[in-house]
Amino acid sequence: MSSIDREAFADVPNPLGMEGIEFIEYVTSRPQAFGQLLETLGFRPVGRHRSREVLLYRQGDMNIVINAHVSTLPRAAQPSETPVIAAIALRVRDAASAYRRALDRGAWAVPTQVEVMELNIPAVHGVGATRIYFVDRYKEFSIYDVDFIKIPAADPQPPAVAGMHWFGIVQYIGNERTADWTEFYRELFGFAPLPSDAHFGVLPKGSIVQSPCKSFYLQLIEPEPSVLDVEGDESLQRVAFGCPDVLAAAKALQAQGVEFVESQGVHTDNRGAITKSALGGVMFELVHHAAPAQG
Amino acid sequence: MTRLHGNFDDFGMDTISLAGTLQTKLKAVQDAGFSQIMLSARDIVGHAEGVDHAIALVRSSGLRVTGFQVLRDFEGLSDHLHDYKVDVAKTMLEMCHDVGAKVLLACSSTSVHASEDLDAVANDLRKLAMLAVPFGIKVAYEGLSWGRTINEFHTAWEVVLRADAPNLGLGLDSFHVVASQTSLDLLDELDPDKIFLVQLADFMWQEVRSAEERMTTARHFRVFPGEGVHSEAQAELVMRLDALGYCGDYSFEVFNDDYQQMPPQRVAERARRAAVWLGEDVLKRSVPLPGQLRLRQRG
Repeated sequence: MSSIDREAFADVPNPLGMEGIEFIEYVTSRPQAFGQLLETLGFRPVGRHRSREVLLYRQGDMNIVINAHVSTLPRAAQPSETPVIAAIALRVRDAASAYRRALDRGAWAVPTQVEVMELNIPAVHGVGATRIYFVDRYKEFSIYDVDFIKIPAADPQPPAVAGMHWFGIVQYIGNERTADWTEFYRELFGFAPLPSDAHFGVLPKGSIVQSPCKSFYLQLIEPEPSVLDVEGDESLQRVAFGCPDVLAAAKALQAQGVEFVESQGVHTDNRGAITKSALGGVMFELVHHAAPAQG
Repeated sequence: MTRLHGNFDDFGMDTISLAGTLQTKLKAVQDAGFSQIMLSARDIVGHAEGVDHAIALVRSSGLRVTGFQVLRDFEGLSDHLHDYKVDVAKTMLEMCHDVGAKVLLACSSTSVHASEDLDAVANDLRKLAMLAVPFGIKVAYEGLSWGRTINEFHTAWEVVLRADAPNLGLGLDSFHVVASQTSLDLLDELDPDKIFLVQLADFMWQEVRSAEERMTTARHFRVFPGEGVHSEAQAELVMRLDALGYCGDYSFEVFNDDYQQMPPQRVAERARRAAVWLGEDVLKRSVPLPGQLRLRQRG
């Protein structure tokens, strides 16, 4: 009975064996400009896709994929001048079973578009035009070895600036949608909601769900109550980097030319910081967070 | 507030009551002073100029879409039947989203192939709700009075509770409530925030005893509230829901063969009479002041 199979994973704290974020993908029609911005944040280009206009940037354990390739798939993020987050890739124990489990519980499969000799990374639809990938080859073997060509002379493992690591992703949602999205992330991936007073960093709005591996967070933010309705305006708005010493990290990034918001409401302090909007609307957040244990 | 100054903005018509093209139906509903309409998938896929044109018509009509119907026999199936219905549901959700509807109506299964296990039914509805989350769609689950396992609103409510998904709630149809003689006292057990749609229809017979009789009556001989012999029950149901704190939409789910051969304007006038009766006589609302806003409820 499939109804029994569907429940086989119930109540397991980390049903997918999730182990953090493998990469975050942005789409933009200005990959070079965005790459330069990432470099000021400490990322370095380490790879170039074999068949598409896609670049891989890295620092420490964080990978960012810049995709300038125009997708022909339905419900796909299309490159625009302002870089937008198009996908989160989750590290899981078994990508095929994680994918199957998500579909069994009501995820939408993303049709794949794989060229010869490229990896077929299973994905489901997330908020708006975004996807959620499942990756299980991140220990003994790297997915990038297959699809990407190394950039000559580049250090393949550039160190993280000031201990920066993935902390979380901020998702903008519609009015009265917090319960829906909280349940979506819990049901399909095993995320757990934090108490409503739990907040991190300098922008404490919305509510937070924690990944089942407890290594990162999603922050769900509804519009201001004064906004009557936001039609179809849901998206992944920004990523947040954790760092053990926010002021030291901010100082190091400022030396690279990164500018932070310093206003009456929001300014850089021990809890966190937020970069000024660049390239028409992309921003990054720093959040005070101890370095994760090395897995 | 409507152009005709009635206080019934939360009442709407359903395209199934009207003859003619989609355009004709939209216009008739609007001309009668309604601000919303319940759509059927058939309105969209059967439109002569194609689906995209139908969607554009709806979107440019200025009418709010109360909801989109109807997903049938979804729950309780297994294996290939389940997979097939999931595919159907996905197509319905995409159309629902395309026409700008926030509610998809799913009716309880009549299939002999479906499981009678309430937990299996709840699991499937939970999956349907998760499929609907990315589109911001709520699923209203309605117990058809001839449903195989779920045929009264309180059993539908039990399943909704078991499924426990924020965007899964109850669809309540007064025809089924009255036809199956379900006690209105059971309405008090409902959470008004989890009633996602209320459909209203009266009928002409005092009793409809068998499931077959209910089905025939439901599909051919419904009338607008106030036109049948169960006006008191209709009024009581609306008053009880109002007292319970329900502040969602009421849609006239009136299938009627006679109305199908009357000019849509005439049918829409009848619907308007029903809306005025319920809004002003039954719920005793005053005509709203100019510029009055209905504020969204929060948390």
